Amino acid sequence: MSYEDEKILKCSEFEGLLTDYLDKSLESRTHKAVAAHALRCPICHTLLNEVKDALQLCHEISAPKASMTHLEARILSMTAPETAMSCKQFEEYLTDYLDGFLPATLFHRWERHAVLCEKCTDLPGEVVRSIAACYTYKMEELAIPAGLHSKILQATIGTTKAKTVKASWASQAAEWMRGLSFPISVPQLAPVAMMLLFAFLVFSQTVSADGSFNGVYQKSFELAEQTYKQSADAVFGSAPTNEQKSNQEPIQGTFVNEEENK
Amino acid sequence: MEALKAVAEFNGADLVRRCRSGDGGAWEEIVSQFSRRIFNLAYRFTSSVEAAEDLTQEVFIRIYKTLDQYDAKQGDLTNWLMRLARNLIIDDYRHRQRNPQNSMADDVEDHTFHLRAVGGSAQKEIERRELCAQVQDGIDKLPADLRTCVILRDIEELSYQEIVETLRIPEGTVKSRINRGRIELAKILRRMRVVNI
Repeated sequence: MSYEDEKILKCSEFEGLLTDYLDKSLESRTHKAVAAHALRCPICHTLLNEVKDALQLCHEISAPKASMTHLEARILSMTAPETAMSCKQFEEYLTDYLDGFLPATLFHRWERHAVLCEKCTDLPGEVVRSIAACYTYKMEELAIPAGLHSKILQATIGTTKAKTVKASWASQAAEWMRGLSFPISVPQLAPVAMMLLFAFLVFSQTVSADGSFNGVYQKSFELAEQTYKQSADAVFGSAPTNEQKSNQEPIQGTFVNEEENK
Repeated sequence: MEALKAVAEFNGADLVRRCRSGDGGAWEEIVSQFSRRIFNLAYRFTSSVEAAEDLTQEVFIRIYKTLDQYDAKQGDLTNWLMRLARNLIIDDYRHRQRNPQNSMADDVEDHTFHLRAVGGSAQKEIERRELCAQVQDGIDKLPADLRTCVILRDIEELSYQEIVETLRIPEGTVKSRINRGRIELAKILRRMRVVNI
C-alpha cells in the first residue's frame, strides 16, 4: 500500500471507531488507519491506553479467583447444616485430604470447614510447613562423634586397624563352602556339588599344613624312590633295610623273587 | 555424580561375604557406610549425642553378630541393615519410655548439624540449623507412640506398610497416629513460632 492510499482520520472519527478497533472488528484498511492515528496523535494515544486499562480492570473484577469463597461456604452451611463437619472430624481427615485420598463428598465438607472455622483455617498450612520442616531436618545430619568408628571396630573385631585383619585360609574355605549351597538348590546340580566337595576333601588331605604343594611333590618323590629300591632288591637279591621293613610292606613281586632265589 | 559412583561401587552382598570370611577391611567399610545414618536415627529417638553414640555401638555389635543371617536373595544389605537398626533403636526407645529415669535428652541447640546437600549462604545455614534444633525439640514433646510414627513417616520416609511391619500394629492405628502426630507437631511448632504464617 502506498502512502497516498493511506486513510487519514480525524480525532472525532478515531473516538467513534475506538471500541470496534479494540474488538478487532474493523476491516483491514480502517484498522490500520486507527492504529496510525494513535501513533501520530499523543492525546488519542493516551485515550487508547486508558480505555485498554479500564477494560482489563473490569475483566479482572468480573472473574473471582477463589474456587470456594467464604460466601458459598456460608450459604451451603446454612442451607444444608447436616453436612457440616466438626473440628474433630476435620482433624481426623487432614492427612487423607493432604494425601488426596478423601472421597468427593467428604472433600467438599472438609474444605467448607476449612473456610468457615477460624480455629481450623490455618491448621492445614501449618501441618504442611511442619512436614516440610521435618524434611529439612532429615536433610541435615549430625556428624558422628570422633572416635565412634574406633569404638565400634574395637567392640566387634577387637582392633581399630581393621585393614590388618585378613581372612584366614580356613575361613575363606568355609565361606567358599557356604557358597556351594546356592547351586544345590537346583536338584540337578546336587551331584556336581558332591563331586566338588569330594575333590575338595581329597585336595585338602594332600596339601601340606602351610597350604603349599611342596609336600605333595616330596611325598611322591619318596614313594618313587622306595619303589625303585624294592625293584632293585628283587633283581639284585639284596635284603631290604630295617628302615624299609618298618615303614613299608613288601610288594607282591618281592615274595615271588624270594621263592625263585630259594 | 559422586553419590551415584558410591552407590555403584557399594556391593552389599560381596561385603558381607568378605566379612563372614574374616576380612576386617570389609567390616570397616560397612561401619563407615552406615554409621552416620544409624547414629542420626538413634539421635532422633534419644535426643542425646552420648546415648545415640552408645546405641549406635550396640546396634553395630548386634549387626556383626547376625551377619550370618543376611541373605542377599531377601533384599539388599541397606534395607536389611536399616530394618535391623530401626527395630533395635525403637526397642530401646520403648524400653526407656517404660523406665523414664533412663532418659538422657541433651539440649539440642548445643549440637552442630551438618548439611548433607551443600549450598546456600552462611545465614541460611544458621537458619536451617536453628530450624532442625526446633524440630527435634518439637518431636521430643510428642507422646511416645506419635513420636515414633512421625519419625518413621516424615523423617525416615517409610511407607505405611513398612511402619506396620516395623511396629507390628494395625494399619488403621498407624494412619491415625501419623495424622495425630503431624497435627500435634504442627501445633507445638506453632506455639514455638516455627510454622506461623
